[in-house]
Amino acid sequence: MTRDDIFAKVRSTLVDALNVDDAEVTPAARLKADLNAESIDFLDIVFRLERQFNLKIPREDLFPESIFSGDPKFVAGGKITADGLAELQTRMPYADLTEFRKDPRTDKIEDLFTVDLIVRYLQSRVGSA
Amino acid sequence: MTLTGQVAVVTGGSRGIGKAIVQALCKEGAKVAFVYKGSADAAAALEAEVAAAGGVAKAHQGDVADPAAGERIVGAVLAEWGRVDILVNNAGVIRDKLFLQMEAEDWDAVLDTNLGGTFAFCKAVAKQMAFKQRSGRIVNVSSVAADHVNAGQANYSASKGAVNSLTRVLAAELGRRNVLVNAVAPGFVETDMSQAVRNMAGEDNLKKLIPVRRLGKPEDIAAVVVFLAGPGAAYVTGQVITVDGGLSLGAVSG
Repeated sequence: MTRDDIFAKVRSTLVDALNVDDAEVTPAARLKADLNAESIDFLDIVFRLERQFNLKIPREDLFPESIFSGDPKFVAGGKITADGLAELQTRMPYADLTEFRKDPRTDKIEDLFTVDLIVRYLQSRVGSA
Repeated sequence: MTLTGQVAVVTGGSRGIGKAIVQALCKEGAKVAFVYKGSADAAAALEAEVAAAGGVAKAHQGDVADPAAGERIVGAVLAEWGRVDILVNNAGVIRDKLFLQMEAEDWDAVLDTNLGGTFAFCKAVAKQMAFKQRSGRIVNVSSVAADHVNAGQANYSASKGAVNSLTRVLAAELGRRNVLVNAVAPGFVETDMSQAVRNMAGEDNLKKLIPVRRLGKPEDIAAVVVFLAGPGAAYVTGQVITVDGGLSLGAVSG
């Protein structure tokens, strides 16, 4: 499956799950800030992707929100520590952390969850399947 | 008719308050799948009665305390009718004893049915309502005993208090997807379940505690369940509606 194929399927999934227009679902669009996704929507998206791509997405795999639930090793003073960044990169090898590394504030983590992140994740899954 | 074409699931539906809820939902045009545990004759009679009135009610045997029952029965309803618009968690039991005499088994029996059953059936419909339909109504039958306690009901009161809390949390989580979750808290209602209490206390004595001076009828509760399931309650969620003739006001008159 090509990257374009994956993107097209992801876009239709997000259009259905979030009641947004096709045009809003750009690769850079952030699920929360741009597409108004809430936590229940993240679950819905995972279920829909599982059906669309016929694969199982383990909990915490695509959206590992619980990595930083206050562990002082990973979070300090509202920022992600160096260890935390390393952990994040390990858990989300498909995430592009370039921008985030410049100002790794905890309240910016959600901005990592972009449409492109989902596409990259699925590329890694579909490619290795 | 306000519920034409809708599909409802009612637990504990063959007798008492549940039976009245099944009848009332059918009267409003809903197709109702109801769950019964042991009263096969009563369940069959209710199916026939609803059919004779031109409605559709289908009995499903199961024990809501069995953690698998919710998925199994809701799965069967979805396979046959394709959706679930309304869930009424009504199945409930009492096993009254003073706390000092209450064994773990008494506790578990009441909690497993009243709270565990409610959890399991909510869980079984939640994805369907929130993700597929983006709409749904859940009505949990609680009790005034959640807040206005009686000695001998540690298990029952705890289970109903927990149902009220569960109702609020689900309302908060599922509101985003237009799934509204409320509870109805009956007072003294004329059912088999309350028979022993009514016998012990004496109906005349009980009526003195109730400002409207009568015990509740199952239909009194069913009417509020129908309201919460219907279009008039489109902006109501996370509420526990007391339906007790004023019992919980605590205004004893002589």
